[in-house]
Amino acid sequence: MSGSERMPEVKQEPQAPLLPGVVAVALSTAYLIALLAVEKQPLVIGLLAFGIVAVLAAHYMDWLDPVSRSFAEREGMLSAYAILAACVVAAFFHDNHFVLLLFVTVLLYAVATLGLNIEFGYAGVLNFAGASFFGIGAYTSAVLNTYTAVPHLLVLLIGGTLAALIGSLLLLPVLRTRGHYAALVTIAFALLLKTFLEVNDVLGGPQGMQVKGMSILGWSFNDNFEIGKIEMSFYLNYFVISMLLLCGTFVLVRRLERSWIGLNLDAIRLDETAASCFGLDIARWKITAFVLGNFVIGLAGALFGMVGGFVAPNNYTFADSLIMVSILLLGGIGNPWGVVVATFIVVVLPEKLQTIQEYRFLLYALIVIVVLLFRPEGLLPRPVRRYFPGGRA
Amino acid sequence: MDVGLLSQYIMNGLMLGMMYTLVAVGFTLFFGVLDIIKFSHGDVLTVGAFTGLATYIGLRSVGVSSTPLLLLAVLVVAILAMAALGMLIARYLVLPLRSAPALNTLLITLMLGTVLREMVRLFYPQGANPKPFPALLPTDSINLGQFNLRLDNAIMLATGVAIIVGLRLLLNRTKLGLAIRAVAQDEETARTMGINFTAIVLITFAIGSALAAIGGVMNGLYYNEINFGMGLLLGVIGFSAAIIGGLGSIYGAILGGFLFAALQTIGAVALPFASAYKDVFAFTVVIALMAWRPTGLIQEKISERV
Amino acid sequence: MSRTVRQLGLFFASALFVGALVATAQAKDKVKVGFIGPLTGGVSVNGIGGRNSAELAVKLRNADAKAKYEYELVVLDDECKPNVAVQAATKMAADKEIIAGATHYCSATAIATVDIYHKFGFPIIVWGAVLPDITYRNKYAEVHRVNGTMIDQNDANAELISKLGFKTVAVIHDTTDYGKGHNAYFSKSLAKLGGKIVGTFGVTADQQDFTAELTQIKALNPEVIYFGGLTPIGVRVRSQMDKLGIKAVFDGTSGIVSDAFIQGLGPLAEGALAFREGASTEKLPGGKFFLEKYAAQKYDNPPEAYGAFSYAAMDLILDSIEKVGPDRKKIIAELANVKDRDSIIGKITFDDHGQNTVALITKYVVQDGKFVEWDDSEYAAGKRKLPGQK
Repeated sequence: MSGSERMPEVKQEPQAPLLPGVVAVALSTAYLIALLAVEKQPLVIGLLAFGIVAVLAAHYMDWLDPVSRSFAEREGMLSAYAILAACVVAAFFHDNHFVLLLFVTVLLYAVATLGLNIEFGYAGVLNFAGASFFGIGAYTSAVLNTYTAVPHLLVLLIGGTLAALIGSLLLLPVLRTRGHYAALVTIAFALLLKTFLEVNDVLGGPQGMQVKGMSILGWSFNDNFEIGKIEMSFYLNYFVISMLLLCGTFVLVRRLERSWIGLNLDAIRLDETAASCFGLDIARWKITAFVLGNFVIGLAGALFGMVGGFVAPNNYTFADSLIMVSILLLGGIGNPWGVVVATFIVVVLPEKLQTIQEYRFLLYALIVIVVLLFRPEGLLPRPVRRYFPGGRA
Repeated sequence: MDVGLLSQYIMNGLMLGMMYTLVAVGFTLFFGVLDIIKFSHGDVLTVGAFTGLATYIGLRSVGVSSTPLLLLAVLVVAILAMAALGMLIARYLVLPLRSAPALNTLLITLMLGTVLREMVRLFYPQGANPKPFPALLPTDSINLGQFNLRLDNAIMLATGVAIIVGLRLLLNRTKLGLAIRAVAQDEETARTMGINFTAIVLITFAIGSALAAIGGVMNGLYYNEINFGMGLLLGVIGFSAAIIGGLGSIYGAILGGFLFAALQTIGAVALPFASAYKDVFAFTVVIALMAWRPTGLIQEKISERV
Repeated sequence: MSRTVRQLGLFFASALFVGALVATAQAKDKVKVGFIGPLTGGVSVNGIGGRNSAELAVKLRNADAKAKYEYELVVLDDECKPNVAVQAATKMAADKEIIAGATHYCSATAIATVDIYHKFGFPIIVWGAVLPDITYRNKYAEVHRVNGTMIDQNDANAELISKLGFKTVAVIHDTTDYGKGHNAYFSKSLAKLGGKIVGTFGVTADQQDFTAELTQIKALNPEVIYFGGLTPIGVRVRSQMDKLGIKAVFDGTSGIVSDAFIQGLGPLAEGALAFREGASTEKLPGGKFFLEKYAAQKYDNPPEAYGAFSYAAMDLILDSIEKVGPDRKKIIAELANVKDRDSIIGKITFDDHGQNTVALITKYVVQDGKFVEWDDSEYAAGKRKLPGQK
C-alpha cells in the first residue's frame, strides 16, 4: 500500500545452463591454438574452411542459440572461463615469440576498439581518428621512456590522459557539428596529426622513435625468463599486463553499458532532440564519452608502443583509423564480445593467410560494405537492453 | 617581395585552388541532391586519372601519336568512364541506403573509397608505384623575370574556369539544371511535379564524377605524375573546401577551394620551415573554422523536423 | 538440410581438421634463410632486383650437390617504410626457424630495425642501405653490411662539383635518416672544398608538390641542386624544376641510380649526376658470372644497382651455414671472422662493426637515357655541357 513497501520479487526464471557456453569456449580455444600453430598455407585454408563450415552447421542445427543465451545470462562465469582459455593459449605458445606478439596485438587493439565503442557505439560520437589517439599514447611512452625516469605504469596512465586531453581540443568543433561535419573534424585531425608527426624532428620525424621496453619494479619486460627449466618468451610479460588491461576495460565497458550512464548515452545516440527534451545535457554526455573513449585508446596505445618497441607516424594513419572502425562495424556496434571476436579475425587472418596480406585493406573494405548493405548490426549484434528490477541487466 | 616571385606564388595557388574546386563542386552537388557525403569522390578522381593514362598507353601502342587527338581521347574516355562509375555507385550503393541512418552511407562511401584505391594499387600493373603522366599540353613558357608562365598551366586554368562557368549555366539556364535544383530543394515536391527522381540523381552523380575525371586528368597533366593515393588527400581537402564554403552552394565550393589553396600557399611562404607545415596549418584552420561556423562560411540553411 | 547430411558434413570437416594436425606434425626440416627488401612502393624495382638476386644464390646453392642442407628463402616486404620494416623484422627475427637474413635496401628501414635484430640475436647482412649509422651507431654483433656507406659517395660528389667549377648549391633532402645523413655528409664535404650551400630544404619522403621549395630555390639562384633522397621524389623534383624554369644541375646520390628514374623523366633526365659505391655490376670481379646466371633465370626485372650485393650477402650467409651449421649464435661468431673472403663483388672483410670496405666510387651522368660512367661520358670529354657549366 505505502511507497515503502518493496516491490514483489519478480519471479526469476531458472538461469540458462552453463554448459553450452563452456563447450563453445573450449572448442574455440582448441581451434585458435590449431590456427595459430599451423604454418603451411593449404593447412591454414583448410582450417579456416572447416571453421566457417562448423559455424554455419552449428547455426543450422540451432546450437548457437543456447550458447548465446548462456553467454547473456551467465556472463560472469563465462568471462572467467574465457580468461582461463586465453591463459591456456598463451601457455601453449610459451616460447613462440611471434604468436605471442600477435596475441598481444589482438588484445591491445581490442582495448582500443572498446574505447572507440564507447564513443561510437554508445554515444554516437563519430571518431575517425582512433589510430591517431592510439599513436598519441604510443608516442607518449616513447618520449617518457627515453627522456625521463617516470615509472612505466604511470607512463601508461599519462599516455591515456594525454590522448584524452588532446582529444578534448577537438571537442568544441565536435560538439557544434553533427553527422558529416563531425566526421570531417576527426578526419582532418587524423591527417593533421600524421603530417605533424612526420615533419617534426623532435619526435623523430618519419624515422620514428625507439621505445624502451617496459620494466616494473626492476623486472624487465624485455628479457626472456625461465620458470624451472622451461624458457618463456618475454612477450609473456606483456601478455599478462595486456590481459589485465583488456579485462579491466571489458568490465568497465560492460558496467558502463548497464548503468544509468550507458542509458543516457544510448538515449543521446538514438535521438538527440528527444533526449534533450528529457533533460539530458547532450554536451556533457558527449564530452564524457569522447574523453573516456580517448583515454582508453591512449592507454592501449602507450602499452603497445612498449610492446612493439618502435613508433613511427606511418603506423597511425587515417587508413588505420578506418581499420578500427571496420572492426567495430564487423563485430557489431555496441557489443564488446563482438569487438573481441572481430579484432581476432581482422588481426590474425592476414598474418596467417599470407596470400591475402597484400589484399587486406581491400578485403576489409569490401567486407564492411557487404556488412553495411546486408547485416548492418554486424556479426554479433548488440542484444536488446534487459531490465530486471533489483537484478543485473 | 619581388613581383615576379609573388606572381609565381599566386599562380601556384590558383592552380591548386582550381583542382580543389573541381573536387569540392562534386561534393556540393552530391550533398545538395541527396543530402549525403560521398567520401569516395577523391578516389573516383584517381580512377579517372588512371583510366586516362590507360587510354593514352593503349592509343599509343596502336600508333596514334597526334597530341590533340590523344588529349581529347584521354579526356573523353575518362569522363565517360567516371560518369558511368558514378551512376553505378549511386544506383547500387547510395540509393538503397537512403532510408538507413546517414552514418551508414558515410561509412559505405568511405569504404568504397578504400576499395577503389586498393583496386588501383593492386590491379593496375605496378599500381603501387607513381606513374608518369604524359605531357599532352604545349609546354612552352613565357619568362617574365622571376615569373615563369607556362602555357599548359594557363590553358588548364582557363579550362577550369570555363567548366565552372558552364556548370553554373547548366544549373541556372537549362531544364535539367532546374530539375536538379528542384530535387536538391525538396525531393517530394519535385516528384509530385513529375520529375524523375532516380534519373536526376543518377545524372547528378554522373556530372559530379565527370568533374572528378577532369580534375584527375588535370592533376596528372600538372604534376606529370599520378599515384594511387592521390585521391585520399584531394578528397579530404575537397570535402573541407566544400564544407568551409558551405555545403549545397556552388559558390561556396569555389570559395572554399581557393581559400584552402590560399591557406596552403600562405602557410608554405609565411612559415619559416618551408612547406613542411603547410598541411598542418591548413587543416588546423579548417578545424577552427568548423568550431566557429559549424555549417560553413556561406551558411547552409537547414531545419530539422523533430 | 537433412540431419544426416549435416552430420556427415561435420564428420568430414572433423576428419579434415585431424588430418591437418597430423600433416603439420610431419613437416620436414629445411634450413630457412630470410630476405627483406622493398617489394612494393616507389623503389620496388630495387627490392625486387635484390630479391631475385638472393633467390638466385639460394637456387644455385640448392642445385649444388655438395651442399649439406636444403635452403628455403623466406621473403618479406618492408615497403621502404620504417614501421612496416619493424614489423617484418620482428616477424623474421622472432621465427626461430629462420637462421639469418639479407636485409634492406632503404636506409630508413635498416636503421629502424637494427635494434630488433640485436634483441632477438638474429644475424643479418645489409645489402643496399648506405647510412653509416646502421653499422656504426652501435656495436651489434648481429649486424653486418657488404655494401659501402654514403660518406665516400658524398666526398666524391663534392669533389666533382667543385672540379667542374660550381660554387653555389641548394640542398633538397628527405626527412628520413637517409636524406638527413646525405645532407650532413655532403654539407661537410662541400664546406671543406670551399663550396657554398645557399639553402637547405627538407621534404617528406612521399611529398607531391615541391613548388613552394623550388620557388624559393629559384629566388636563391644556385648553380646546382643537390638531391638527397630516393627515386620517386627525385623524379618529381626534377620535373617540377623544369616547370618552374630552373636551369640548375641536378645532382643526385645512389638513391636515384635506377631505371625508374630515367623512365619517369624521359628526356628530362639528361645531364643528371649520380654516385654510388662499388663498380658497375659488369665491372665487378664476379660481375659477368652473376649477370649470366641472372639472365638465365629470365626474371622480369633487372638486378638493378644493388642486386650483386644482395647475391654476395646471401652467398656469404649460405657459406657460413654450410661451415658451422644452422645455429644463429654460431653464425654470428663465424661472421665476426670474415676476412678477405672471396665473392662476386670482390674480397669481403668485416671490420669490428661488421662493415665491409668498398673503396671505389663510381660517378654517373645520365646521357641519352642511360647511366653512363662520368669518365666515359661526353660531358667529361667536353663534347656536352651541363647546365651552367663554363
